[in-house]
Amino acid sequence: MSLTNAPRLDTDRLILRGPSPHDAEPMIAFLMDQDRAGGFGAYDNRGDAWRWWALNIGHWHVHGYGYFTIEDRATGAPAGISGIWNPEGWPEPELGWVVFEGFEGKGIAYEASHRARQWAYEDLGFTTLTSNIVPGNARSIALAERLGARYERTYVNPHMGEDLLYRHPGPKELAA
Amino acid sequence: MSVTIPTVETDRLILREQRLSDLDAFVAFFAGDRAQFVGGPCDRVDVWRMFCSGAGHWQLRGYGIWHVADRETGAPMGFTGVLNHIDWPEPELAYTIFDRYEGKGIAFEAASAARRAAATHFGLTRLISLIAPENTRSQALARRLGAAPERDTEIRGHACTIWRHPEEVPA
Repeated sequence: MSLTNAPRLDTDRLILRGPSPHDAEPMIAFLMDQDRAGGFGAYDNRGDAWRWWALNIGHWHVHGYGYFTIEDRATGAPAGISGIWNPEGWPEPELGWVVFEGFEGKGIAYEASHRARQWAYEDLGFTTLTSNIVPGNARSIALAERLGARYERTYVNPHMGEDLLYRHPGPKELAA
Repeated sequence: MSVTIPTVETDRLILREQRLSDLDAFVAFFAGDRAQFVGGPCDRVDVWRMFCSGAGHWQLRGYGIWHVADRETGAPMGFTGVLNHIDWPEPELAYTIFDRYEGKGIAFEAASAARRAAATHFGLTRLISLIAPENTRSQALARRLGAAPERDTEIRGHACTIWRHPEEVPA
């Protein structure tokens, strides 16, 4: 059963698709992992993590876009999420990514977020995108830079506190 | 295909899905003390989160919260519907009408319609309402809806009473 009207996007190794019911447990496990979800927004109880899972699905319905589940094509396992996130209080819509435990170090976040960014530009008509990264999240900063994003400014995010805003190259810049 | 949220109409009201254009009206309500029994007071960011998690709840459960709008003007007046968060004891009929629309039977009209629609569309015929001991206004409406206190419990660290509604008949 599909929970959104998200399209399916394909890359060499991955399928990006809308969240589905069997993504719930890996998603909640990630959100309750204080170490791994610290830079994303972690929860210390299942009730709050479940509400974020509902929010993640509802984002597609309220905004028309959201986080895809990244599916590992070889195994069918959910490997993380990537997509466009646009909360109230954020400076601008952002390209975000999360890779679940066991799927790191394989370039999955790069492959997925590169495809999600292309979708946002080509299918949604976005002309620019940011990524918000908490200071010290070296892994995420490295990925943003690999995607061609550049540090623009530091600001105070209503949920995350001090936050670094990275700006991605726009569709024209990427086409040049 | 995802869940389609049914629209419910009453004499004066329309119960419909969450819309971003409702945000300002909800933010104004959730900034005030009156929101203390329904997860507030809280800020604009949290209200946005509530909209999205409310929309997601429909997909996960097949039922959820409607925004209540004035049938003539379209103005958002509150919300009602069936909540069943993962830490809820069972599906709950919830209802809240913003301060300025009180005293006109709007909450009764909205909650009655939601309860009927829950029986009609979702097969939920014996709902509860979770009400804080000090929320006398909500208790009065529960009584008017024919509900009665069943037992006390605690939800997310807050004391509350489970009120049981009478059996609802599908339309």
